[in-house]
Amino acid sequence: MPMISVAGFGHHVPEGVLSNAALEAEFGLEPGWIPSVSGILRRRCISEGETILDLAHAAAQGALADAGMEADRLGAILVGTGTPPRQFPGLSADLQQRLGVQNIPAFDIHLASVGGLFAMGVAVDLCPRYGPVLVVGAEVMSAVMARPPRVKETAILFGDGAGACVVGPGPGKFEVVDVRLRSDSTLASELRLDFAAPLSMNGRAVILQANRKLQGVILELLSGNGLGVADVERFLFHQANLNLLKQVGQSLKIPEERVFVNLQDYGNTSAASVLIAASESLRRAPLRPGAHVVLAAFGAGMSWGGLLLRAGGSR
Amino acid sequence: MSVEETIRQAMAPFANNPIPEDPHASLFELGVIDSFGLMDLLNALEEALGVHVPDADLVPKRFETISKIADYFESNGKPKS
Repeated sequence: MPMISVAGFGHHVPEGVLSNAALEAEFGLEPGWIPSVSGILRRRCISEGETILDLAHAAAQGALADAGMEADRLGAILVGTGTPPRQFPGLSADLQQRLGVQNIPAFDIHLASVGGLFAMGVAVDLCPRYGPVLVVGAEVMSAVMARPPRVKETAILFGDGAGACVVGPGPGKFEVVDVRLRSDSTLASELRLDFAAPLSMNGRAVILQANRKLQGVILELLSGNGLGVADVERFLFHQANLNLLKQVGQSLKIPEERVFVNLQDYGNTSAASVLIAASESLRRAPLRPGAHVVLAAFGAGMSWGGLLLRAGGSR
Repeated sequence: MSVEETIRQAMAPFANNPIPEDPHASLFELGVIDSFGLMDLLNALEEALGVHVPDADLVPKRFETISKIADYFESNGKPKS
């Protein structure tokens, strides 16, 4: 694989906060129940007049600034989202228009929680041909959660937000060492969102599959590159549920401090979450040059995948 | 030890409520096992019974009762590779 790197990350979450207290009141829940089953303390949600495009654009601008790049250098735009503003054209078309960069490919990837990671993986293969690829994961899950009937099992989990990165050929802040993307449609119906319908999620099935698949793809990524869990400085997972992150971490014997967690503040932001986690984590605590980081996510399809990155710079 | 006894023993550390005597009672409806406990239980049973549960079989309804779990591990399991 030619050298491909992530040149920069960015993210944006709306100001609006949906607290656990509000959900406890709505569903008659015991205080403490939501954190015990999910680890979530609050989630962000858009306000009136705010759109998914606003979130995506702000995250994109952050990634471009972190990469030190103007939008007119982009060769393609990929958007992972399960909550586009319409069936088509995708959110990518709106974002392309707002960025003012025409005549480059721009398209959406609809895989819910793994959409952002899949977009990164596809960007790795696209960028040698097209040049730097803007990858965005953006969701307004609050609009989906508003569809009746609201049920506590999903309403407590999801939040709005966007994350982004720029993937390009050549050296950069984080070299892409390897990518693994997988889909298995055998159990696809266990996680689905039909037109204008509420989210349909068999939580037990999703948890069982996510747990097994995430562990598998991480081990596959590491063993394929002659590495072990101990060689990875940080694990950035799709922020689905704290109990799932803990279970995957414990099964793989990952030291707890190496698993980044921010879902307590944002909830599950679906396609955006792994990109928000990467942006926030790597900005808050930069990695030493040469350090490895693993990104992994699971979503609709059912689909899952992982990326292995190595921090650039002199060792 | 029978498979059912092995299941009851393996379930004990992950049970949120008393394990029912009735092997046909729903472990989910009784709140005995949640999603995460089910994963832990299956891992423990794979180890104890030397049977690998393939990903395609990781469907909760297969493991909703002690009876169903026993049936699965007695009839549908494949030797662990």
